[in-house]
Amino acid sequence: MGSLTKDKFLFWLYTFFVLLILGFAIFAPWLAPYDPYDAVMRQSLQAPSDDHLFGTDKLGRDCLSRIIYGARTSLMMTLSLVAVITVVGTFIGVLAGYMGGKVDTVLMRIVDMMLAFPGIVLAIAIAGMLGGNIVNAILALAAVSWTKYARLGRSLTLKLRQRDFIAAAVTNGSRPLHILWRHILPNILPTIVVTAAMDIGTMIMELAGLSFLGFGAQPPTPEWGLMLNEGRQHIQTAPWLMLYPGAAILIVVTIFNLWGDSLRDIMDPQRAN
Amino acid sequence: MKRIGKLTLVLMVVCLAAVFIAGCSGSGKKEADTKTLKVGVTNFADSLEPTENYFAWVVMRYGIGESLAKFDEKMNVQPWLAESWQISADHMTWTFKIRDGVKFSNGKPLDAAAVKASLERSFAKNKRAVTFFKYKEIKAEGQTLTILTEKPEPNMPGFLADPLFLIVDVSAEPARNFAKEGPIGTGPYMCKTFVKDKAVMVKNPYYWDGVVPYETVEIPSIDDPNTRAMALQSGEVDMAVNIAAGDIGLFNDKAKFHVDRIASLRTVLARINQQGVLGDPKVRAAFISACDRKVYNEVILKGTFIEGKAPVPPSMDYAFDQLKDPNSYNIERSKQLLAEAGWKDTDGDGILEKDGKKLTVDFVVYNSRAELPIYAEAVQSDAKKVGFDVKIKSVDYNLIDKMGINGEYGLLISNITTANTGDPEIFLNWYWKTNRNGDNPQNGSGYSNPALDTKFAELSTTFDRQQRRQLIIDCQQIIMNDGAALFLGYPETNIISSTSIEGAQMYPSDYYWLTNKIKPAKK
Repeated sequence: MGSLTKDKFLFWLYTFFVLLILGFAIFAPWLAPYDPYDAVMRQSLQAPSDDHLFGTDKLGRDCLSRIIYGARTSLMMTLSLVAVITVVGTFIGVLAGYMGGKVDTVLMRIVDMMLAFPGIVLAIAIAGMLGGNIVNAILALAAVSWTKYARLGRSLTLKLRQRDFIAAAVTNGSRPLHILWRHILPNILPTIVVTAAMDIGTMIMELAGLSFLGFGAQPPTPEWGLMLNEGRQHIQTAPWLMLYPGAAILIVVTIFNLWGDSLRDIMDPQRAN
Repeated sequence: MKRIGKLTLVLMVVCLAAVFIAGCSGSGKKEADTKTLKVGVTNFADSLEPTENYFAWVVMRYGIGESLAKFDEKMNVQPWLAESWQISADHMTWTFKIRDGVKFSNGKPLDAAAVKASLERSFAKNKRAVTFFKYKEIKAEGQTLTILTEKPEPNMPGFLADPLFLIVDVSAEPARNFAKEGPIGTGPYMCKTFVKDKAVMVKNPYYWDGVVPYETVEIPSIDDPNTRAMALQSGEVDMAVNIAAGDIGLFNDKAKFHVDRIASLRTVLARINQQGVLGDPKVRAAFISACDRKVYNEVILKGTFIEGKAPVPPSMDYAFDQLKDPNSYNIERSKQLLAEAGWKDTDGDGILEKDGKKLTVDFVVYNSRAELPIYAEAVQSDAKKVGFDVKIKSVDYNLIDKMGINGEYGLLISNITTANTGDPEIFLNWYWKTNRNGDNPQNGSGYSNPALDTKFAELSTTFDRQQRRQLIIDCQQIIMNDGAALFLGYPETNIISSTSIEGAQMYPSDYYWLTNKIKPAKK
């Protein structure tokens, strides 16, 4: 315990918070006081009270329950999105970096093409064309976000390729797939994971943004971005409808960002100095 | 040095923020402007061509165009550009006396020939025109206009009060692009510039009916109802139409705002497609029975809507209270009907199935009227309780008309005026008369009932008021018995104006927003 540095302490602190949020998402059915879909319409737009800590929305659904379930929707969407873009982007990047030549040129020009568009605007266009739902929102954001990992994966691979141990592996007759899997991937993984961790917060925001605009989760799904949009109609008469989902997004994004930062700090000691 | 650099940066950011904030608050209007009026509306029209789609409504609402007759606050037909009218003994010829001294906004006097040209233009360019009436001949002589109809048309003055028949100067057309620059009409204002988001009107120097108080009228289209309410609160606009139910409470201060709330002639209904799963009368009846419309209107919409039941709202005298809704709210009956129709929840997910198919219904909605998505979600939630999976699809208003005609929906929500001719005959015909090869395009649902068609045929030639009333009541009951649509509620409508102006009034017909009666308030 004595060797616990400040960085490590912060990392574990933030990890605790992250686990707490995940816990909320996983145990939502036990934690939420009401069914988030149960519309008791006679109790519509009630202000926060003992019965409904965060008040009720226009259809009389309990806001607290919807926010707790919203953690489920938001995190599930975000984690699957980050997983998709990390795997796909890294795979393409590593492939381009290792193969070089024409493969590299073609893949990287595709990446350049994608980067020529402003990300979120392109995502809105794609989601708009596909039609609004959760899967399409994830696809749309994945389509514009994988390029970052492709670039990163490629440059890391290029750096590694010059190293002697790769040359040794090639001389030993290892197949390219084996080299990629056993020698390159483990070496670039820490950087990729840190990048992915730091992306979670951004992706929560962007997914919530798409839902807010109507391109992501559809009613009656409890999702924070969508709840913000629904509450917008009542911003002057029932402000709690925007306040609590907004606060939920703020807190969760902050925690994931801090966690990503602290993960980077402990994984990369050079940077910490 | 580095520290100073940082400080400068922070200062710059603060300054920038201050400029922004000052800019925002500066836009609030301090004094009433007596030269310019600003009206916050929601505009669905892409152009001002009155014969396109329903765009004539906008032309009339913005004070550009007027028609031969108008509806007063009780929906009685009153003379407007026509001074008087009469019908011949054989009921086939209507004679209108066109008002003397009326001029178009280009100074050209209005005579019967101009009216004839304008009416013929409407018939030539819009297919909806013949759903009102068909004419054999229109004759113009001086200020006398004669219309010979193919069959007796009891409600002719009411038909001609529809915005579609507003009078434009056809001879001005080659030189002027009506769609982009606005038509030449006889109204108090004329169009200066128009884009969908904002129209600017200027005074018509030749207006015939009294003083036009404003030089310029700016009409921004603020489609989001809450933004519209905020624009009115902040003084960005002097008056706004259709403030949402949830926001009306913000304008209670009588010293600052004048609220004109009236029961409208509108009905919010969901058309039900008869070709999908809802084609089964039992499923349809089950769906309607599952919807607790009393709560939607009285609780969620805070009583700014009246509980829906029949096609025609209770604000019109068609025996609303005597009509019997066979599908009134009854959740047990709804479940039982679904069971009788063979729908069962076999996989325990709460959604019913039959022959391996889920009980899924697409509900098409648009958002420019605040209540529509609220109704849709309430229906979705209620229908789920009996095992329907309702998928809400939000689309742009401009797509609604086309989707309705093509039948691309399970349910399709609309907020419709039921009596745009002062009488609900046309409205009932449009949505429920059998559509044979597109001869009644508005009925895209596939609904057809010969008994109802017979009543409609009788109605179209009946002149006697009492008989007409009874026929309309009968028609409504048939539609309700068939579960042909889900009648959600009847809205109030409103114009809210700042007390710096006076004369803003909402009419049940919803055709007259900008008039020359709106003027700066006397201090």
